Amino acid sequence: MTVPAWFERFTDAIAAGDQRALGCEACGETTLPPRQFCPACGSTALTPRPFGDRGTVLSFTEISVTIPRFHGETPYTVVVAELDGGVVLTGQLRDATADDVAIGDPVALGVEARDDGPALVTFQPAEE
Amino acid sequence: MTAHVASVGSTAYGRQPERSSRELFAEAVAAAFDDTDLTPTDLDAVSVGNFMGELIEDQGHMGPLLAEHVGAREAASVRLESACASGGATVRQAVSAVESGAADAVLAGGVEQMSAADLEHVTDALANAADDVYENGQGLTFPGIYALMSRRYAHEFDVTREQLAAVSVKNHANAVDNPLAQLPKELTVEEVLDSKPIATPLTRYDACPISDGASVAVVVSDGFAAANDLDVSATIRGTGQSSDAVALQDRPSLSRTPAAERAARAAYADAEIGPDDVDVAEVHDCFTIAEVLALESLGFYDRGEGARGAVEGETAVDGRLPVNTSGGLLGKGHPVGATGVGQLVELTKQLDGRHPNQVADPSIALAHNVGGSGASTTVTVLGGV
Ligand SMILES: [Zn+2]
Repeated sequence: MTVPAWFERFTDAIAAGDQRALGCEACGETTLPPRQFCPACGSTALTPRPFGDRGTVLSFTEISVTIPRFHGETPYTVVVAELDGGVVLTGQLRDATADDVAIGDPVALGVEARDDGPALVTFQPAEE
Repeated sequence: MTAHVASVGSTAYGRQPERSSRELFAEAVAAAFDDTDLTPTDLDAVSVGNFMGELIEDQGHMGPLLAEHVGAREAASVRLESACASGGATVRQAVSAVESGAADAVLAGGVEQMSAADLEHVTDALANAADDVYENGQGLTFPGIYALMSRRYAHEFDVTREQLAAVSVKNHANAVDNPLAQLPKELTVEEVLDSKPIATPLTRYDACPISDGASVAVVVSDGFAAANDLDVSATIRGTGQSSDAVALQDRPSLSRTPAAERAARAAYADAEIGPDDVDVAEVHDCFTIAEVLALESLGFYDRGEGARGAVEGETAVDGRLPVNTSGGLLGKGHPVGATGVGQLVELTKQLDGRHPNQVADPSIALAHNVGGSGASTTVTVLGGV
């Protein structure tokens, strides 16, 4: 599959420790790229806003039945985490299994290149 | 202009890998017209709900293909896609066309052929309902998304796996007497919990099966019904529809479905009723958690209370508010594009007094159909005639 350029820029920035979301100057909403309009208020006054590389687990699941892109990689765990700065991201758990995590646990953001598609957003357990 | 359901038709739902969408659709249409003096040439429009025609059968442009295939070549035809809410969207479009006076007789249909592909590919096709980059690209599957919602809900409200499994037990039991159902199975809570994991905490029996099937409803104006001396089966009392962010991560909460809340409010206002007036409902239970979220979004239960429905028997066929007397998506099956129309088929039978799990004398029925993990929802309120 092709990797959209905007997502490559997004994950490259995470790898460089300079991750950015978009902040709406009209209503304050924080969203993820690519956007020309704020989904909350419709404003086009969106500016890049840094977000943190630490966050907490909102939910997680261990996937056993997957899609062809991830054939042969099960089981793996997908986490949804809220990062400092209010951004919520979906990514794969690293250095731990589903048995090792709980909702509310602290995690650290990372990124991993893949040959056959977009880079993976990753989370690994972090110290409080 | 008021819209009525003149007749309904459906195939059985289940794995029928050797049958194409056009065969399934034609069978449902034949069943619907069997009941009336109308013929498909009387139709002004044909609206076909279908999600994965291109992905499984290499077939787009399903509107005219299927209209022509059922003898309605000249009708204005279109295929509508809104993931698993495609069927509900065709119903709403048909009702709008009739209520506005733009059409007198519209076929609202839905069809899906899913079992012709292997499990990984159909899982991939279903994943098209999610955000390809932020969700599927990260390894998330469609059941995985509902698993995330399930775990978050259980965390916020202290609801157990056993309580969620009660939804599956109830709906599979309701499927037993429905001749259209794919999984007529008496299950126990333990059997649900012990079935094969798909995406923790969800197992095989927390999830609907892969299904093929078609369902249709002939929606007509009151003027057309009178002119043709039609004995209509149900009246459309109100509809509602709303959308939300496609990706779960872009919504403020992982444990609620605001598009359904908005669609329900609109449908109740349109029908001039409230949740307490509903006598029987078909809700989108693609996973056990989905029925619980539906009951809350529709105003039948407060937040965190929805699991009580199945656990305490309130949503059983003989309960206070029977939900998914058809077996639901879990027990009856979920040929994606057909489901929203299939709900109408079941409710029309309930209002007509000819359902295999007939509830006592219902006068108001409600259908709730969801696309993706809640990014599109339709709600339809039906009344008896
Ligand atoms: Zn804004």
